[in-house]
Amino acid sequence: MRWAGLAVLLVVLVLAPRWLGRDLTTALLFTFLLVVLACNYDLVGGYLGLYNLGQASFFGLGAYTTFLLLRVPGLSSLGSGGAALAVLAGGLVAAGSAALVAYPLLRLREASFAVGSFGLLLFLRVLVDNLPGVTGGSHGLYVAAGHYLSLGTAYGLLLALAAGSVALNWLVERSRMGLAMLAIRESEAAAAAVGINRFRVQQMAFVLGALPTGLAGGVFGLHTGYIDVSVVLGIERSLLPVIAAMLGGTGSLWGPVVGSVMLRAIDVGLKNYLQLPVPSPAVYGLVLTLIALRMPRGIVAHLGRGRVQGREAARAAPVVQAEEVS
Amino acid sequence: MTLQLMTELLAGGAVLGGLYALMAFAFSLVLATTHVLNVAHGTFMVLGAALSTLLVREAHLPFVVSVALVFGTFLLAGWAFEEGLIRPLQGRPPVQVLVGSILVTFGVAITAEALLGYYWARAVEPQPIFAVELGLPSLRVGGVAISGPRALALVFSVVAVAVLHVLLTRTRLGQQARAVAQNRVGALVIGIQPSRVARTVLTVSVAAAGLAGTFYAVAVPLNPYEGLRLTMVAFTVAAAGGIGNLPGALWAGVGLGIAEVLTGYWAGAVWSPVTYLLVLFGALLARRGEAVRGLVR
Repeated sequence: MRWAGLAVLLVVLVLAPRWLGRDLTTALLFTFLLVVLACNYDLVGGYLGLYNLGQASFFGLGAYTTFLLLRVPGLSSLGSGGAALAVLAGGLVAAGSAALVAYPLLRLREASFAVGSFGLLLFLRVLVDNLPGVTGGSHGLYVAAGHYLSLGTAYGLLLALAAGSVALNWLVERSRMGLAMLAIRESEAAAAAVGINRFRVQQMAFVLGALPTGLAGGVFGLHTGYIDVSVVLGIERSLLPVIAAMLGGTGSLWGPVVGSVMLRAIDVGLKNYLQLPVPSPAVYGLVLTLIALRMPRGIVAHLGRGRVQGREAARAAPVVQAEEVS
Repeated sequence: MTLQLMTELLAGGAVLGGLYALMAFAFSLVLATTHVLNVAHGTFMVLGAALSTLLVREAHLPFVVSVALVFGTFLLAGWAFEEGLIRPLQGRPPVQVLVGSILVTFGVAITAEALLGYYWARAVEPQPIFAVELGLPSLRVGGVAISGPRALALVFSVVAVAVLHVLLTRTRLGQQARAVAQNRVGALVIGIQPSRVARTVLTVSVAAAGLAGTFYAVAVPLNPYEGLRLTMVAFTVAAAGGIGNLPGALWAGVGLGIAEVLTGYWAGAVWSPVTYLLVLFGALLARRGEAVRGLVR
């Protein structure tokens, strides 16, 4: 039943651009993008309880790698095949740098981890800003007309990435690795005692969470045709996935998806229908504050407090307590 | 490089470093006593700078009056901030307080800077810059020129750090704050109320941030979106100098200020943020997060 429902939803979403106008299709595209980032963030932020405030680093690395590779004459002459290769390479670079960055970053915990990951994002921003010879600096980079992705293509690719990200979290959740991740989140000492290699598991989660984000960076960049620091490495781009995951319910399969849809709906509603004179980051910030204060387990768990119990409830939010005894 | 240029760079770095030390100390005192990592600390500085710019430049009030007004406003703001946004977190386990406070105050920072930038651009000037211009003459000390506003900022940060030091070591409140930072349970046992100490410390730190922002804007102009950078600098100095450690914050702050000015001189101003980020990574890794974690048990 559940599978049939998901299949119908997927078919409807694939066909949706035929019936929807350009604006709504774009709104959906941005929702898929946020779903990718939020699910990927949550693999580390929710299932591991490590608040990565620098998820946008992977997005930016994917986008910049794609754009820089497409400047290489041999690759750009391959047309859309070349673009596909460049996007793939972008995903791999993002995943590779996640594997590398895990070495210093995973030595940190809680607040230090959050600040450290945010610091890495700021560092990347400074580098991109100050190396105009490579990255175009504040002028950004443009893509050649031949590689531009139309709205329909980008929509399809991002839908696939969003579905893939949800499927990835589903697979991880049901695997040995998922169990190991939850064990580490609840108590590193206990996890180590049953023979779990903390670093390897966390590093793997980091890499898995960076790959789709990097791919999405390339696809999104090729669709907008232009990237710069604020477009692909913006602080908002890093924080929105966190807010979306928190809003829906961090550490659960559908939480980040629900949160992303709600956040995008709020944004579209504010901009297109209410036309309130309020900048959208202010709204996002407010949502983050209220969620963290009033319902740290997210809206799904908050509304269904009576029903959702047992395993689901235990997953809903990190309960780091055993640590403190040590 | 001439000796004179070197001295002037060092003096400029010391001015910046004094302000860094002050903001880092107010920030880390909160972290040590209440387990709250206030991401909005830098945003309060920016708001302080904005309010004083409004009072001095737009309302033409005397600087001394505006400083008093900023101090009063931020005492109230700090109290309200603690009451509305930090107090509700306090029942949770320490690690949850820490993580929850990062998210709550991050939201506050984003909201406040977005609103400030947006409405300032509409109502006051299209390109918001917070600068308090006092028209002070520059000073010459032994052949070295220091601009008057910078000297004022340096004097202020020295005085403010001294006041905080006296507050912390010579008053009952300071004793209580240090006791809570060292051992929360022990403090409870001897009859200290951590929640009351937390309120006072947070209120004082927000007021200190507002004043630090005012004098920062006297020395160096700020824009609405620099709050997060300032918080990161405060965290860096606190992590390098030791959380809740005043002499440590002083050394780390002045060291970072000088390093930043020298980097800016040799590599260009755009590279100076690299300095604090490298120090941040170094401090985090060298201490393996113990700087923060050690206090959150």
